[in-house]
Amino acid sequence: MDVLLDNFGTFAEGVLTTIELTTLSFAGALAIALVIVTFRVSPVRPLRFFGTAYVELFQNVPLLLWILFFVFGLPKLGIQFELFTTAVLAVSMYSAAYYAEALRTGINTVSTGQAEAARALGLGFGQSLRWVILPQALRSVVQPLGNLTVMLLMNTALAAGAGLVELSTAANRVNLVEAEPILIFSGAAVVYALLALVITGVTRLLERRLVIHR
Amino acid sequence: MAALKTRRMLVLTCAIATLSTAAACSGEPGALPGSPGASGQGIIDRAPVASAEAIAASPTATAIKQRGQLLIGGSLDAPLLSQQNPATGETEGFDATLGKLLAKYIIGTPDAKIVNSSSETREALLQNSTVDVVFQTYTITPQRAEKVAFAGPYLMSGQAIATMKDKSAIRKPSDLNGKKVIAGANTPGVEAIKAQAPNAEVITFATDPECVQALEQNRGEAYVQDLTLLAASARLNDKIQIVGEPFTSDPYGIGLKHGDDAFKKFVNDWLVRLQQAGIWQQVWKDSLGTVVTGEAPAPPAIGSVPGS
Repeated sequence: MDVLLDNFGTFAEGVLTTIELTTLSFAGALAIALVIVTFRVSPVRPLRFFGTAYVELFQNVPLLLWILFFVFGLPKLGIQFELFTTAVLAVSMYSAAYYAEALRTGINTVSTGQAEAARALGLGFGQSLRWVILPQALRSVVQPLGNLTVMLLMNTALAAGAGLVELSTAANRVNLVEAEPILIFSGAAVVYALLALVITGVTRLLERRLVIHR
Repeated sequence: MAALKTRRMLVLTCAIATLSTAAACSGEPGALPGSPGASGQGIIDRAPVASAEAIAASPTATAIKQRGQLLIGGSLDAPLLSQQNPATGETEGFDATLGKLLAKYIIGTPDAKIVNSSSETREALLQNSTVDVVFQTYTITPQRAEKVAFAGPYLMSGQAIATMKDKSAIRKPSDLNGKKVIAGANTPGVEAIKAQAPNAEVITFATDPECVQALEQNRGEAYVQDLTLLAASARLNDKIQIVGEPFTSDPYGIGLKHGDDAFKKFVNDWLVRLQQAGIWQQVWKDSLGTVVTGEAPAPPAIGSVPGS
């Protein structure tokens, strides 16, 4: 245990970066996903096409490649951000494809009668989506969104490829000095598990309050 | 976003002797390291084979001889040290050749198999006997010596600094203070930077080429890495330069299972024989010597560092 306590600073820094990365990427991914899913169900054909293309593109290439592309490829094209920003962008855009698909499932659970009723009330496409369909869709996919967020948390470990000192990199660095792999990586695993439990807990809470029983 | 600057509070000044700024990369690209003809078979033919008594004295060596293959924890992607040649499938370089020579010493033929290991896993691989030895620029430290036994040191190296050629702000390790510095993930460079320049911000990337690319993209102002690897990079990329001389001394050891004193003595005896026969020096010339200028250095004295 001394090893973990002696290197508390390095670990704390890593955990903090992991939490920041997860939180910001979650917010970014959800925002992008809302846009993409709107495109996918919109009556405008080019937008629908764009939404589908986005999801297919990001779901069919591994995140690590996206991160490496964002970090090492984009600067060749003259686009370069801070490493942290780059990592958040890559993780957000990748996860957004999955969130968008979960949201689309949610939209499919809303009966067509709801959309027809909204139109009968005189709401336009955007209004009916915002006030009638999306709220119901979101409430029915709380659990899948929670699972995807746990996955996002685990995926932040890949940001080590982008040079960020998040939890897994911090564990590696401590191990480099201390050579206690079993203890150190178990410690990191416990922290990941705890963070995932927090997400699952919040998901369960939200689900209990929001989920629609049909 | 970057709320992690608490370490900036630390202030430490390091008095560093003036370092000359001679670039350590050689001009002429020589033959490919370990290419056939350069070393390869010739050196293996000259290498010694252990006597039956020497083998019998170590149960580990006996077991390896019976198995007919030496299992080595190592890398397949370290230029000049242990890199697999895609054309031949052979692993070439300083560490790889020594591994083959040790296999010949025990078995009689250079029958060695490299198990790809990493800095995170090599202690575990030794502890659970997945590999017999680790040849992987494994720096001997007293902490590690509590987990594994080290034969050697078999090579002395050190951390050095590379910058872009058009930059001149960094001349010595203390100049790294307050700057972003790139290092390879899980390399001693990370600790070396902290020791010499506590206020430097360390950014790590997984592989050496990624670090060089990050340096080119100005993600950091300097790149700290083992001199041998830097020299290889500097030869491939004429935009980077090596600044000054190595500022640490990293003794590389051969990792063995902790507590196996008989095998440690066996491997150390082998190293001494290689050094005395001039084979160690030839292996160095054929690999690292193709990039680092000057004659082969004097081989390190066995058991000369704490932990070995």
